[in-house]
Amino acid sequence: MTLLATRDVAVAYGGVRAVNGVSLELERGESLGLIGPNGAGKSSFLAALGGQVPLAGGSITLEGHEIGGLPAFRRARRGITRTFQMTSEFAHMTVFENLVTAGHGAEGSSLRAVVLRRHDTRRAERDVAARAWSILDRFEMAHAADMYGSELSGGQRRLVEIMRCLMREPKVLLLDEPMVGVAPHLVEKLIADLRSIRDDGIALVIVEHALEVVQELCERVVVMALGRPIASGSFDEVVAHPEVQAAYVG
Amino acid sequence: MWSTLVSAIGFGVVLASIIAIAAMGFTIQFGLTNVLNLSFGAVMTVAAFAAYLANRHGVGGWFGLLVGGAAGAVLTLALGRGVFKAYARRGARLFEMMMVTLGLSLIINYAIQAISHNNIYQFAVLQSTPLQLGSILITRTQLVIVFISIAILVALQVLLRATKIGKALRAMAADPDLARASGIRTGQIVILTWLLSGFLCGVAGVVYIINSQSVGYTTGQLFLPLIVAAAILGGAGSPVGAVLASLIMGVVTEVVSAFGSAAYSTVAGFGILVIVLLSRPSSVRGGQAGHQQLTL
Amino acid sequence: MTAWSYYISTLAVYFGVNVLSALALNLQFGFAGVVNFGYIIFQSVGAYIAAVVVLGPSSGTFQQYVFGARLPFPIPLLLATAAGAVLALLIGLFTLRNIRRDYQAAILLILSLIATQVVQGYVPLFNGSNGLTGISRPFFSSLPLSLQGYQWAYAVWGLVLCAVVYALVTWLSRSPWGRALRAMRDQEEAATAIGLNITALRLQVFVIGGAIAGLSGGLLVEYISAWSPDAWGYAETFVIFTAIFVGGIGNYRGVVLGVFLVPILFLELPRFLPQFGYPGLTDSLEWVAIGAIWMVCLYVRPQGIVPEKRSIARRRGAADAPVGEQMEAA
Repeated sequence: MTLLATRDVAVAYGGVRAVNGVSLELERGESLGLIGPNGAGKSSFLAALGGQVPLAGGSITLEGHEIGGLPAFRRARRGITRTFQMTSEFAHMTVFENLVTAGHGAEGSSLRAVVLRRHDTRRAERDVAARAWSILDRFEMAHAADMYGSELSGGQRRLVEIMRCLMREPKVLLLDEPMVGVAPHLVEKLIADLRSIRDDGIALVIVEHALEVVQELCERVVVMALGRPIASGSFDEVVAHPEVQAAYVG
Repeated sequence: MWSTLVSAIGFGVVLASIIAIAAMGFTIQFGLTNVLNLSFGAVMTVAAFAAYLANRHGVGGWFGLLVGGAAGAVLTLALGRGVFKAYARRGARLFEMMMVTLGLSLIINYAIQAISHNNIYQFAVLQSTPLQLGSILITRTQLVIVFISIAILVALQVLLRATKIGKALRAMAADPDLARASGIRTGQIVILTWLLSGFLCGVAGVVYIINSQSVGYTTGQLFLPLIVAAAILGGAGSPVGAVLASLIMGVVTEVVSAFGSAAYSTVAGFGILVIVLLSRPSSVRGGQAGHQQLTL
Repeated sequence: MTAWSYYISTLAVYFGVNVLSALALNLQFGFAGVVNFGYIIFQSVGAYIAAVVVLGPSSGTFQQYVFGARLPFPIPLLLATAAGAVLALLIGLFTLRNIRRDYQAAILLILSLIATQVVQGYVPLFNGSNGLTGISRPFFSSLPLSLQGYQWAYAVWGLVLCAVVYALVTWLSRSPWGRALRAMRDQEEAATAIGLNITALRLQVFVIGGAIAGLSGGLLVEYISAWSPDAWGYAETFVIFTAIFVGGIGNYRGVVLGVFLVPILFLELPRFLPQFGYPGLTDSLEWVAIGAIWMVCLYVRPQGIVPEKRSIARRRGAADAPVGEQMEAA
């Protein structure tokens, strides 16, 4: 079954349509790049998928279930999670706590669980900690486990965001300009990390200005302009597309 | 019954005129600087006392408005450029700045309480015999207050829509960075905004005590809920919105207190607040607020 | 000597009441980022409820009030706690929606101003501006204690309540739920993106704080035997906030110290100064000083969340230890 499908998704800000009729499908373990000039509606579309902005029209289904009307936190519980253009680490919590919070999720950190199911909570605490350590090891961040979010470099913050998402064991990971704020020499490593996440079977949707990143990472690319998709295909196909060249040149 | 309603509406319009003057001042600075200025009520009180003192020294009548307006303008500018800016430099954002204005309001309000010996003073100037307009009993002074309010609205609209300064002001409220990049002297516009909104704040304080004929240290503070609610309901930065919202609140408050009691009228004020919350979800929305910045 | 003993024991009760308030506000503000500028409303409703269920049915002449009853200890305190929680739920349901934090704070402040006017204006509720008096103290005549002894027993009782609530809030703050609160405080959008329902979290923390507030009001009113709108001006909330600022936001031990320094030491010291000016001048000046301390704290730490300790994560081998094993931060 198709993992994620959108039909005619529209987003409007006070009458202005930022996204207007985007339909696409995404399979498990696929990485989809969204490119296009500034103001094309890429980030707004991502926000529509994640639930950060309401839909002005259209539908979104995850494994056949309509999720277009759900608030962001319910979509996250169903397996759609995301990073933000401005890195969104919890700044006054350690890296480890960032991960553990996500690992417990809403269920494990609910007041009911904490107060009434103390035994389960303690066990969950151990399980979540073990998972956090293995993810920290995988991304070579174990040494920074006790650093506060606010003490990290741009690249480390991005990694914390991504690791936090992985603690949720998501089906779809939305990445809004993941390379912003990442030091140039770390970009290759981050690309490799994202590729390995994709190889785990997680679907990625990536909005990115750096075209070489999209080229390396995404098997399929959708080009947007003025809120609509104007071309779709492999990276090489779409950049050769005349409408795309026109859109970029202006 | 009918005449009670009409006269309550009449009182409501007078009250609305006073709220509106303050709310216009509040909304201009709020729209431009994004500071949710909770010291606004305290500044109103300072201006009211300034007019009171001026009156005791022979500067009476409508000149009191100028005295209060000047006091409000100077104090607001001093707070804006002196205090708020210093805190913004220290890294205060929207929320922290609101806390700063609150601390200031504590200091100013209780300093006035100390200086005024916690007394309420009579301010019986500009008393005039009531006129009977249908079932509305209104004094000449109150009529003038309504006209002052309308005049301020008109003047503000002209300033904002038809002058260069007004255009610069609106451009800055919409996007300060873009405005700065396109050559607008943003520092001067901010100073002008503090002066203008401070002046209106002061005028509102004086008009308020002219109408209520007394002044005390809680004068502005008790008025603050109405002003803030009017500014939020009317939309930040919109004088017309502020006036319309003031009209709704003034009339509702007076009608409720005419048919119920003063306690119910505050409950009505509370009800309006709920409506504010429910009616303007987009402008009061969280989340995006993080992207809004202070302009000082 | 007895005057001193009376005075100090009274301060100990006030200390207990203020510690309860500071614990509640620190949980709300320091951990969850919820700014409850209307805190005093919830303390006050607890005080009123505890008062009317002790006073007995209203005679309607000497003082008027609702819910008059004569219930034995500790039911009034429990009802006060419940009243704080219920009012917090009602107010929270519409103020804690997804709105700007500065609006939220302003609206709670405004509610605080309006609540005073409502109680003053609607006399049948809680006897208007005159307030309620003659609330009898629990076991005052039945315990075999001198007045001194009773005073100190009450102070100890207050401090026991503090210790219980302290244990409760610190435990909750260290739990996964407490971490979820901190996540919400640091980054709301990211918190929702990992599945946290921030509206529910805010409401929970608001209701728990409201319950503690109600309890503190009950504890206070059963001691001072009277309650009126003068006792709960909007500005009282800011004394507690100042104590939290001084002690360090998010730091429970620091906050207890802050309560000792601000509402107790700082606001009580002037009693020992020679009288100057007209009566009431020192009160006004104290408020000015509270405002000044508030401004200084904001200047020193404009965004100042100061967690008590960095929690150091233990590696797998130490799986028997809880995750948040505490260590002093460097």
